[in-house]
Amino acid sequence: MKSPSTHPCLSLSDLSVYRGDCPVVDRVSTTIHAGELVGLIGPNGAGKTTLMRGALGLLPHLGHSSLTALRAGPRAKAVAWLPQNREIAWPVSVETLVMLGRVPHLTAGQTPQPHDRMAVARALAAMDLTGFEIRPATALSGGEQARVLMARALAQDCPLIMADEPVAGLDPRHQIATLSYLRDLTRQGKAALVSLHDLGLAARFCDRLILLDHGQKKADGKPETALTEAHLREVFGITAHITTSDQGLIFQALEVVT
Amino acid sequence: MSAVSQTRLLGGLSLLVILLCSISLLIGPAGFSIADSLTALFSGTGDAISLVMQEIRLPRALLAIMVGISLGLSGAALQGYLRNPLAEPGLIGVSSSAALGAVITLQTGIAAQMMIILPFFGLLGAAIAVVLLLLLAGPRGGSLTLILAGIAISALAGALTSLVLNLSPNPFATSEIVFWMLGSLADRSFAHIWIALPFMALGWVLILSTARGLDALILGEDAAASLGINLGVLRWVLVAGVAACTGAATSVVGAIGFVGLVVPHILRPFVGARPSRLLPASALGGAALVLAADIAARLILPDRDLKLGVVMAIIGAPIFLHLIYRTRRAEL
Repeated sequence: MKSPSTHPCLSLSDLSVYRGDCPVVDRVSTTIHAGELVGLIGPNGAGKTTLMRGALGLLPHLGHSSLTALRAGPRAKAVAWLPQNREIAWPVSVETLVMLGRVPHLTAGQTPQPHDRMAVARALAAMDLTGFEIRPATALSGGEQARVLMARALAQDCPLIMADEPVAGLDPRHQIATLSYLRDLTRQGKAALVSLHDLGLAARFCDRLILLDHGQKKADGKPETALTEAHLREVFGITAHITTSDQGLIFQALEVVT
Repeated sequence: MSAVSQTRLLGGLSLLVILLCSISLLIGPAGFSIADSLTALFSGTGDAISLVMQEIRLPRALLAIMVGISLGLSGAALQGYLRNPLAEPGLIGVSSSAALGAVITLQTGIAAQMMIILPFFGLLGAAIAVVLLLLLAGPRGGSLTLILAGIAISALAGALTSLVLNLSPNPFATSEIVFWMLGSLADRSFAHIWIALPFMALGWVLILSTARGLDALILGEDAAASLGINLGVLRWVLVAGVAACTGAATSVVGAIGFVGLVVPHILRPFVGARPSRLLPASALGGAALVLAADIAARLILPDRDLKLGVVMAIIGAPIFLHLIYRTRRAEL
């Protein structure tokens, strides 16, 4: 399916992020290669967002991240980041907003070129937003805004996409569509790291899952090795029904462990 | 919310500024004819008409344009940076500090010695405010600490201005201070322009250079940083630009409110709400509004020396109320 010789898009070694004296992310090492869709899972407060922001250089951190070794300009061409808080400050048009993804590719004062417009059109089509171009982004529903912001990250056209809860608040159709589009992108040679709370979607779509608990990496591997009964009980405090089908791993959470 | 083509919008606003500038040049107590005024403006004969046109009316109109550009740009930039339509240039405390510096020269009487002293102390006050901002908000401070530091500096400068008024030696000094603080373009000369222009021009360049960063900030600070925008640099370029603009404006004409608040608000729908496009539009819109208010100040009560700041507040407040009403309806 994916060749092991593909180049790394992100490598972390002993990445730690401290809040005061307390490590929110504790010596996490991993490598994400081109061609991989990697899910970042863990309960609330496990450090998923902090890990990604630390890896991006948005937070002071210890240890090494291949992205923070880059200067801001090249970094913006190496990784597209979709934060969890879906902020759209002004009622700009959908097209204007998605075009912001092209900012790293434009030199100072340059106006968007035909290939920038093509990248925007492609991203809008991928997120099922064709025809929304001139609508004010703030007038859309929450789920539609989430797709517009995802389209902005796609328009950035980077080897790696990091997205914090990209499918939270989307309807089932667009949850599946978003993740399968990301999977298609990784099949074309890009890589993606997405944090997910829906373990069913994570099991079904991701090539690999990284399980975080209290800032530490508890598991890093294929969904069936990360989503074991022991991990679910210890980290999430739940039991689940897991089966394998020709559609991949099927996961259904059942009960809280008391 | 249809975005007009940017060229047409800027062209229209430029025409408006030229029209208002011409009206500003043609009105005054001397009551010259239009033909006489225009010939006098460009002639070098040194007779009474050309002196009035070249030394009184021309600097007045040019200063109105410069102040309008500075306040319009500052307001649009601060609103874009803070992502808040209620931000205005006075927010970072520079204009009240500049006013304090100017007021001290009036209270002590040193302003009367040389024309340059009052604007110089105004600029000094603005510079002290920027240093205080840097110390309080820190080199890496976020937008919230910047606002809080600005409010604190404004409050302190306001309190000290009250103290200066309180301690003023005689009623004449008090009324001079109060009238100066109302803001006016009357009796300004080219000397005022040459003092203010370098700072304002620097401020314009700095503010215009933040355009792309302000656009990226639509997505929030995290996403903007990931798009390659250096937020620390952006923040201080913006503060320096706004400080240079408002400090210089306050030093030469006093405190003029509402321009930086109302103009970006009016023009935002015409630029598709894009902060980068709002900058040049607000600059021209600010120039037009200050010119219009100064014309109104001279036409409404020609004998009473109506102050520009007062007229601006009387024009600006109802516009602002209307905008609030419109925003409320849009939210329903």
